[in-house]
Amino acid sequence: MQTNAPALAPGLVHTPATPFSHEGAIDFELYGRLIDFHIENGAQSLALPMHAGESVSLRDDERRRLVEFAIAHVKGRRPVIAHVSEAGTSMAAALARHAREAGAAAVVATTPYYWTPSAAMVIEHFSQIGAAAELPLFVYNAPEEMQGTRVTAELCRTLTAKLPNFAGVVDLSLDWQFMIELMTDAAQLSPGFQLISGTELMVSSVAIGATGMFAPLAGIAPLLVDKLYTLCAGQKLFEARHLQEQLAALRQAVKAGGVAALKAAIGAMGRDCGAPRPPLLPLDPARYQRLVSEMDAIASLRAEPRGW
Amino acid sequence: MSAKFRGVMQSPVTPLKADFSLDLPTFERLLDFHVRTSATAISWPHHKGESLNLTISERKLFAEAAVRVVNGRIPVTIHVSALAGEETFELARHAQQIGADGILAITPYFWNPSLEAIEAFFVRLCSAVDLPVLSYNSPSYLAGVEITGELMARLIERLPNFVGVKEASFNSEKFLEISRAALALRPDFAMLTGVEYLLPSVPVGGVGSYSAAGSICPNLCAALFDACMRGDWPRARELQYKVSWLWLLFRDQYPSSLKGGMVMMGRPVGPTRAPLPTATKERQGHIRNELERLGILDSEPHGW
Repeated sequence: MQTNAPALAPGLVHTPATPFSHEGAIDFELYGRLIDFHIENGAQSLALPMHAGESVSLRDDERRRLVEFAIAHVKGRRPVIAHVSEAGTSMAAALARHAREAGAAAVVATTPYYWTPSAAMVIEHFSQIGAAAELPLFVYNAPEEMQGTRVTAELCRTLTAKLPNFAGVVDLSLDWQFMIELMTDAAQLSPGFQLISGTELMVSSVAIGATGMFAPLAGIAPLLVDKLYTLCAGQKLFEARHLQEQLAALRQAVKAGGVAALKAAIGAMGRDCGAPRPPLLPLDPARYQRLVSEMDAIASLRAEPRGW
Repeated sequence: MSAKFRGVMQSPVTPLKADFSLDLPTFERLLDFHVRTSATAISWPHHKGESLNLTISERKLFAEAAVRVVNGRIPVTIHVSALAGEETFELARHAQQIGADGILAITPYFWNPSLEAIEAFFVRLCSAVDLPVLSYNSPSYLAGVEITGELMARLIERLPNFVGVKEASFNSEKFLEISRAALALRPDFAMLTGVEYLLPSVPVGGVGSYSAAGSICPNLCAALFDACMRGDWPRARELQYKVSWLWLLFRDQYPSSLKGGMVMMGRPVGPTRAPLPTATKERQGHIRNELERLGILDSEPHGW
């Protein structure tokens, strides 16, 4: 196993949606266009297919083909981080191995789905994924999405000792107690270890020491996301507060409706990516109207690009 | 009305004698210590002050002592939360009678109240007194019961004396949800964190905090607040990591461990009432080692 995986500082990471055709197949032509849109509108890296890209609704072969397609389409313009989460460890490890063979720059993985695993199970899971990937591994901490399963600072200490390519945590817990404990330990973690904000609520994370951001809202409001990221990266945190509040409002408007609302909002900006796959349902007209009027109330969105 | 609630405010522990009765002389000494070591306000009795393990008459007695000893040097607020709502209102009226500068109340205990019930509670409380009222949002201790941004906005619109929140979710999303709603309607609404999580809150509208560690390391608390207000993020980070490490140390069996740490700083305040344990000699020794490792023993006041 490679012991010194090259460090990757992914910076501002866009997480594209996965467009589907009317028949429900992946629309690769549209996906290529969406990837180009992200690259032209501020993405410093891409992570795909995240939950925002409906990873859990893709068949295994589709998921592999999607990663291969994206890497071929990006042609080295940006690093591509492959999302390899699965419930079963060997399945996630197989996706990680595939990601490396396909040319991904890094992999990202959540705690295992469904099993509400113990810490020991989580450590074994990530260890096998990391060993299979031989690429920087980012651990995705999203207790709200994962039935309360958390990545703890202690777990990160253990992983660091076991896994030389453990590169950082993408945090969606938004939990100050966890993030500060993690960064207090950072000196004991691998050099180059990174805390990355898992969503656009970035100011507090950066204050604590985060150095990057996954941006699921970038398909809707890439300018706003880019401005927030730039201010945060320059440590201009007081100056970032207004933009932070605007993006928090956008996140709140989209969050309740999940990926269906995210896709609807991207579509409302003139970039139709089709409906989500079942079991997710498209927003009904009333909820769609509410989403659009909440978006209209966010003044900063008026400057955002419409269409492709 | 709320501009006086900012900076690192101290909520004293409750000193007890060996027989677990109230130790008034030590409480007076502790109040004076906090005022002399840069507390921006006093608030008593928080959970850290074992509020729920004190009788109502004990709470009134020490509330009077707090107002008397502080004597207008800094604001004094009284935490009026009690299991029985009727006792909360009694404590609130008492706080006003004795000349307190405000009251603080958590969402009602135990009943997992709906948002409508929380709203009715704060409406009744704010109407019962002619004092500034601070709310206390602590979802992790109250099974997820919390004040949403929407509810905060309704309360602010209805209640002119509803001036701030002690926010203890320590979560970016929850803090921002409340701060966005509150500050848009009342720009001087006091966004305060439950303990010293100043680094993540000040850049997004926070103006201060209550304090877990202030009876151990008041200098560190004051320096952290200053660094945050100056926007000196590298310095603030270094200080925040240190303060938060102490919080992790004290959070375990809070406030027993804190009282144990105070022994090591030359400020003994006695045992802790059951069901909370009292810090053992071993626990005190462990805390002393950590305080030494962090340089607290050399950089902070020893004794009263």
